[in-house]
Amino acid sequence: MPLRRRLRWLTPYLFLIPGGLWLIVFFVAPMIVMASVSLQEGSLATGYRLTWNFAVYGQVINEYLPQFWRSGIYALSVTLLALLFGYPMAYTIAFRGGRAKNILLLLVILPFFTAFIIRTLSWKLILADNGFVLGTLKSFGLLDQGFHVLASPIAVISGLTYNFLPFMVLPVYVALEKIDPHLVEAANDLYASRLQAFLRVTLPLSMPGIFAGSLLVFIPAVGDFINADILGSRDTTMIGNVIQRLFLNTNAYPEASALGFVVMTVVLVLVAIYARVVGARELTVG
Amino acid sequence: MSALPARRPPLVQRLLHGLLPLYTALAVIYLFVPIAVMIAFSFNDPLGRQNITWQGFTLENYVQVWSRSDITGPMAASLTVAIVSTIGATILGTLIGLALTRYEFRGQGPLNLLIYVPMATPEVIMGASLLAMWVTLDIQRGLPTIIIAHVMFNISFVVVTIRARLAGFNRSLEEAAMDLGADEWTTFRKVTLPLILPGILAAALLAFALSIDDYVITSFVAGQTTTFPLWVYGASRFGVPPEVNVLGTLIFVVAFTFIALQILWSRRGRRSTARPLEVEP
Amino acid sequence: MNSRPLSSRTLAVAALFVLVAVAGCGIAAQSPTPVTTPTAPPVATGTPGASGSPAASGTPSATATATAVPTPVPTLAGQVIFGNWPYYIDVDEDTGANPTLDQFTAQTGIDVTYLEVIGDNSQFFGTIQPDLAAGHPTGYDLIAPSDWMVARLIRLGYLQPLDKSQLPNWQANAQPALRDPWYDPGNVYSIPWQAGIVGIGYNEKLTGRPITSFDDLLDPAFAGRSGLFSEMIDTMSLTLLSLGVKPEDATPQDVQLAHDKLLAAAETGQFRDFYDNSYYDALAVGDLAITMAWSGDISQMQLYDNPDVKFIIPDTGGLLFVDNMVMPNGAAHPTDAYRFMDYWYTLEAAVPLTEYIGYFSPVVGVQEQVRLDAAAERAAGHPRYADKLDQVAADSFPTAEQLANVFDYKNLTEDEERIWNDLFNDVLNG
Repeated sequence: MPLRRRLRWLTPYLFLIPGGLWLIVFFVAPMIVMASVSLQEGSLATGYRLTWNFAVYGQVINEYLPQFWRSGIYALSVTLLALLFGYPMAYTIAFRGGRAKNILLLLVILPFFTAFIIRTLSWKLILADNGFVLGTLKSFGLLDQGFHVLASPIAVISGLTYNFLPFMVLPVYVALEKIDPHLVEAANDLYASRLQAFLRVTLPLSMPGIFAGSLLVFIPAVGDFINADILGSRDTTMIGNVIQRLFLNTNAYPEASALGFVVMTVVLVLVAIYARVVGARELTVG
Repeated sequence: MSALPARRPPLVQRLLHGLLPLYTALAVIYLFVPIAVMIAFSFNDPLGRQNITWQGFTLENYVQVWSRSDITGPMAASLTVAIVSTIGATILGTLIGLALTRYEFRGQGPLNLLIYVPMATPEVIMGASLLAMWVTLDIQRGLPTIIIAHVMFNISFVVVTIRARLAGFNRSLEEAAMDLGADEWTTFRKVTLPLILPGILAAALLAFALSIDDYVITSFVAGQTTTFPLWVYGASRFGVPPEVNVLGTLIFVVAFTFIALQILWSRRGRRSTARPLEVEP
Repeated sequence: MNSRPLSSRTLAVAALFVLVAVAGCGIAAQSPTPVTTPTAPPVATGTPGASGSPAASGTPSATATATAVPTPVPTLAGQVIFGNWPYYIDVDEDTGANPTLDQFTAQTGIDVTYLEVIGDNSQFFGTIQPDLAAGHPTGYDLIAPSDWMVARLIRLGYLQPLDKSQLPNWQANAQPALRDPWYDPGNVYSIPWQAGIVGIGYNEKLTGRPITSFDDLLDPAFAGRSGLFSEMIDTMSLTLLSLGVKPEDATPQDVQLAHDKLLAAAETGQFRDFYDNSYYDALAVGDLAITMAWSGDISQMQLYDNPDVKFIIPDTGGLLFVDNMVMPNGAAHPTDAYRFMDYWYTLEAAVPLTEYIGYFSPVVGVQEQVRLDAAAERAAGHPRYADKLDQVAADSFPTAEQLANVFDYKNLTEDEERIWNDLFNDVLNG
């Protein structure tokens, strides 16, 4: 049917339009307003005026550089840890799962159907300085009395890793699951050891999953504030906490918005570099 | 098959072989530790408001929770939002994912950006900007605005997850189907969809988990509606009653049952995955 | 395949057009000005929150005081919407109902939509501010912000002045000590809901010694096990007192000194964290040895979670906090709201409420009544509940000694608030 053929080029756009439009209306438009807010000056009482105050960006970067660094380092650690812990899980489920594949996958994500707050509060209970874990170890003299896990960077990173683990496992699983096992067999036939087969065949083929997983973990982790809030201390303040306070407590809307945009830009630049390195173009076009 | 005669793999290799499932089992157990604590404390009978020290076993919480409309109401709202927004985001996101990975078209770069930016944006900024928009348009905040916001931030996560599945998608199966006379829609239904279904399900699961947990954005656009995370976060400052644990436990049990049923059903019925050459390595 | 992609230029132009159009509307509407006159109501209400069905209440009933009859007022709408904090209303544990609210509805026929939407003053402000700034109704008839937030709302012109002629019970029964507060001279916009004291809570087993002063929070012996509030106004004010400065007299130099004092300690890792209400858990389980605390919380903790904790007002002075009922602009049912506000100043409402919440009641006569109830419960053979009521009675109003040693917060202008916040954030951000 000639008409159908001629309209073929329309297909991708038709697919895009519903979601794309949703994002434009409910994300892009409000964010443009936010961008204008960041360039305004004023206060709640006197109202805000658009003064194109670009200097605010320099100010906030300068002032909160430590928290930027810290968030970046934490998020990077969390991503690496999630990869370290999540990849073997995804691998086992994909290749050794057999019939139980679906169950295992759902088991991985099941804990995350309960409220995040409950999970984090439970961790707080478990990791309390004198709770059943630390308290027992202390009473056996294995830890000194002043030792604490909570209110430390370790607690925050652990909390973040725990909460973002499925974000790594799911995409990696999805990528691994579609690898044709015959390819691995072929490698074995060609005298590759299991390790070599993994490194030269499976791992590269799972790159799209690793790429997706790293993004799904790193990007939200940078801006997270809840873990630092509940499990951390003043020394673990992340950029998300700063923005939260600036916005809600100090009502410094321009500064908070500016900070938000800086975070977004930095993260996106990092993602672009990462995509370039990983060669994402080849990974995504069918 | 291998040309070499089969020989028993050395002990080290066998240990390593067993290591992986062991590790996974331990990891899954680790994931469930706070859940176990939550379930345990759902049976606690605290004297005061705080449910932090064990003070006695009781089953009463499971009875009383149903009369606590201040807790069950938010839970119902959360479930509604999560289900609706998951369906919405999955559909919209899958479509975008398909478009991005199977077609070449102008505007892919900006579209990619559009997908990644919401994930990178701090929630407080997204929430506040949406609130400002609703106020400007003089639209009442409530369940619909929450759903809209959840669909919005979930689309990105769905797209990224689906792409991991669709990357390097082999069109030859589809082309084979079409060569055999199937039209595009049938091909999509019977060949493409089953192949990408695991990716879609994974993305949907992720979206559901994200939605049911969202606090910050929801707090801005909820108006007078309270969702479960909103209620718990507010109450946690003063004392989380065991009824909250009860609800958490019940969700968990329901999901678990759902999984078990799904497994039984799929064992009984025909498997519809198009992987006839499935081999366990 | 024969494909003709849309030229990217066309796409870009179209997208730009859409963006500019929407953004233009957004920016045009983005100049918030404070509104002082109420806008015309009716507003669609959100989903109702916790209103339980009427049921037999398990709490002991209080004898009713003579309630003054209000002056004739316009007809009631039959509904009131109240946004409050969690755990700030009595709950019948078995049925989930709120006996005091049900009693109100039975007496007046007004249906109460009770929403526990305030988790944090600032967070809540963030959600209602855009409406108020744009002159829209918030959807609430009454809300219950804390003192300093009331001051800010007044300053921004977001609240309705109260018609005292519709609050006869308040006029008759309000505690003199809580009248005419610093944040709302003359109670023009607010009447108290409940009050308490900000002081220090500590676990004597962990500190090893009794605590008497604010500086004990900075004692290196408690390094890493000491807590402060993340609420700027509380922590800064208590610190100022420790420097011998009354908050209301604090100059910018004083605030700078307070900042320096806190920062020096914070940088050595003295404070485990800066807490909102979550200090309760940390203190109860022993993660904290000493922390800033609220009086009513510590009583609860002593009774239920950790009998070793104690509450003290620092020798340099503590702070009196008051949560208040206020009517935001655009309240849809003001007449009903007045009836509701006034109801809480009768003993039949105030006593059950205080017996459940356990903080200071702003109503005269509550303390005596709770003591009577405690005695009655003890006589009826419920010693545990009687103990609780005795504690509540003791907590339901500050002693003269306590009142002498608590101070008011400073009513900050927006510029001052900004300065104080910036300094405090400097301490808070590691």
